Amino acid sequence: MKPWEVRYRDALDDPNVSVGLLAFQRGWRTSRDARIDELERSSGMRFDELREQFATVKRDALADWDGLIDRFTRAAESAGATVVRVSDAAAALDYIGELTARAGTRVVVKGKSMVSEEIGLNAYLEGRGVTPVETDLGEWLLQIAGEHPSHLVMPAIHKRAEQIATLLEQVLGRPFDPRDIDGMVKVVRGELRDRFLTAGMGLSGANALIAEGGTVMLVCNEGNNRMSVALPPVHVVAAGIEKLVPTFSDAIAQVRLLARSATGQTITTYTNFVTGPRPGQEQHILLLDNGRSTMAADPDISAALGCMRCGACANVCPPYQVVGGHAFGHIYTGAIGLVNTPYHHGIEAASGPQSLCVSCGACATVCPSDIPLPDQILEVRRGVATAERDEPASRIRRAGLRAFAHRRVFAVAVAAAAIATAPLRRDGVLRLGPLRSLPGVATRTDWRDAPALPMRPGRRKLRATSPPARLDPQPLAGRNVMLFLQCLADRVSPDVVVATASLLHAMGGRVLVPQAQHCCGLPAFDAGDWDIAGRMAGDLLDTFAGVDDVVTPAPSCLTMLQHHAPRLFRDDPVRLAQARDLHARVFDLVGYLTGPAGLPAGALDDGDRTPVTVHRFCQSSNVLGRSDSTERLLASLCNVEAVPLAEAEVCCGFGGSVSLTAPEVSAGILERKVDNVVASGAHVVISDNPGCLVHLRGGITARGERIEVLHLAEYLARRLPAG
Amino acid sequence: MTVLLEDFRRAAAAASCGVRSEADEAAAARWCLDVARGATVAVAPSVAHQAPALFEALLATCHVTVSDSPDAASVVADAAVGVAVGQLAVAETGSVLVLEHDVPDRVVSMLVRHLIVIVAVGDLVASLDAVGEWLADRAGQASFVSLMTGPSRSADIERSLSIGVQGPEEVTVVVLG
Repeated sequence: MKPWEVRYRDALDDPNVSVGLLAFQRGWRTSRDARIDELERSSGMRFDELREQFATVKRDALADWDGLIDRFTRAAESAGATVVRVSDAAAALDYIGELTARAGTRVVVKGKSMVSEEIGLNAYLEGRGVTPVETDLGEWLLQIAGEHPSHLVMPAIHKRAEQIATLLEQVLGRPFDPRDIDGMVKVVRGELRDRFLTAGMGLSGANALIAEGGTVMLVCNEGNNRMSVALPPVHVVAAGIEKLVPTFSDAIAQVRLLARSATGQTITTYTNFVTGPRPGQEQHILLLDNGRSTMAADPDISAALGCMRCGACANVCPPYQVVGGHAFGHIYTGAIGLVNTPYHHGIEAASGPQSLCVSCGACATVCPSDIPLPDQILEVRRGVATAERDEPASRIRRAGLRAFAHRRVFAVAVAAAAIATAPLRRDGVLRLGPLRSLPGVATRTDWRDAPALPMRPGRRKLRATSPPARLDPQPLAGRNVMLFLQCLADRVSPDVVVATASLLHAMGGRVLVPQAQHCCGLPAFDAGDWDIAGRMAGDLLDTFAGVDDVVTPAPSCLTMLQHHAPRLFRDDPVRLAQARDLHARVFDLVGYLTGPAGLPAGALDDGDRTPVTVHRFCQSSNVLGRSDSTERLLASLCNVEAVPLAEAEVCCGFGGSVSLTAPEVSAGILERKVDNVVASGAHVVISDNPGCLVHLRGGITARGERIEVLHLAEYLARRLPAG
Repeated sequence: MTVLLEDFRRAAAAASCGVRSEADEAAAARWCLDVARGATVAVAPSVAHQAPALFEALLATCHVTVSDSPDAASVVADAAVGVAVGQLAVAETGSVLVLEHDVPDRVVSMLVRHLIVIVAVGDLVASLDAVGEWLADRAGQASFVSLMTGPSRSADIERSLSIGVQGPEEVTVVVLG
């Protein structure tokens, strides 16, 4: 496999990848959602309940792993199979190699198997003079192209029809019409049929290993997988040991979730239950460990062993859409690939791909096994940061984070940058002009104007702003409300700070703004540096003492304080207690306005009906479960019906540090977002997260669009009665 | 039963699978031969004991190949019509469950162009749970059980759906009785 940097460059240089995957993700989403709706109706259960049920099955299976392996082995062997546990790739290859030698196998037909990719089976067989033949259409296309799968289920989805027509023409020596996809698909029937009938060995993976029956469950759509296992005289199953489920009923639960999540089908065309060999056949079942026991032993990671390899996590992943699985993954692609790669292929193999995760949390919302993928990716990132601690780039990043962690140093740095860039300010952004020719500047700013830095941070601007009149009624009367400014809003978007304070004041709150507050530590946490993150979050927690509520205009910080802090402080009982105590008292603006700070309907209706749309901060949707809360607030408080925004909850690309470290990916994600915003026809786009706003505003002005970008607080504060 | 049959018909149609009802095995045999229009009909050997009247009726014509031969696969490959008997028909998904342990049985459902699966109306079940129970009842027996839902398909190129890829291009479930 090529080095990650090369795979990343190749993906960016091939426009087919992002264009094709955008269409793929959109098509999949529609089908998948329809099938999940159907399942919820027919079962009378919500998706969250169904997947929790399945996750419990897998969790319980892990708890009794050895017992389950024994039951499976006994049942399969009594049906005539040979079951072997193999510790790693080399052991698996040795076993298969000996089988082919003993049986004199020349050709192995293969059903789709990710484990065979994991152990490098094809190259191994070729080295021994045995011909492996991929029989899944997508896998076969990649085999003749000399490539690896870029997706767990749709291996060749990074290629477009034109490329496939060219490939087929080169290999088969006759022309193919790229518009005739059906014609290209049907080539495999003729090309592969004889292979099934003459191969000496068939190799498959397993979608499930059912202990109750010693049964291998296999699904496919083309019919190739079942032919590979059913016809040749030797059938080899190469399966990860985590595929075990106790009963047939558990396997049926998996079937109900699998195809819906994988391809947006109700069920795949073929679901085979294979117990033992047929008369005259040998069957060998390899249960591969290769790092899985290590995963099982780690309580933060073990849930990843529930993965059913549906690929849904890739299908909603914004960076995956931009670069595809060859860059966003190693052998295993998509979000799950970022988690399991270090265990199967080493931490260095995970280093590059994991750096592209924007932490938007979308993967976790569709995972049918309910795996907390975003949290696990951050665990892996922490591991990568630790492993690469002494590399120059890591040292520089750590020095930057340390400076950032220091409130006064950071304040001085931003103030100096504001002065230095003052001559470049135009309409809230920087116009860099000839500075664009400096190294690395154009790739970071051509697609997104950098924000103009204010001369005065929010905390100082607040002091110079006279408070608005109080509303009637005043839901916050008598409450001490601490305004947690958020570092970005404070230093880059002071108007957001002022607007939030105005709203809190107008609602009757006594607004407190402790000067010692700085940042929740999310940037450091997201960069995998838990030491610095812990210090920053800890310092912030100390500033929250003695207030009734803590309110921030930044839901990103809320996810840090409510969701991440308990993990960050899991080994620090004092901080952990502090974080837990805070949990019920800390709010972002939307949570506050829909909770303790509720205002009467129409309280902020000033008659303005300029069309607005709402970009939903990804983590508000995916972590806090907010969906359309902002739209409903606008409707209720302002009588404004927001124009629907396509893919409203899909990340804007600001997430994590990707906009700095992988600007091309961030640019691709932002382009999708801005396209949707422009297509909505709205004149104003509202979001409730300061990071998204800086990013969206920069993207919109860089494209010359005249759409106003506002924080919800700004939009609402403009509608307060004059003070 | 009619509700189940209607549900089954609807789910099967969504998977591009045809469903028709026939009164008995003889009528089903007539329909299979009509579909074949004189071309080869490959009959799974297990049909002989699962649906003897159907088997006899098909054998009585001269265009039928019973696939019980050492070289079964090449004999039935791309036969115009293949006939197998299903154990269950599942209304939830429009699937049929076929037990096909021996190679001559397996190749029929894998290699023919138009697969016809015969299922008794009494074997219609509401949901996949019945499949799990059916399998659990036979746990431990060596077997090759295929839950099939419509004709083979692929969407591997640009997620564009093609029906009839490596397996049958057409599937019809005939519900008897």
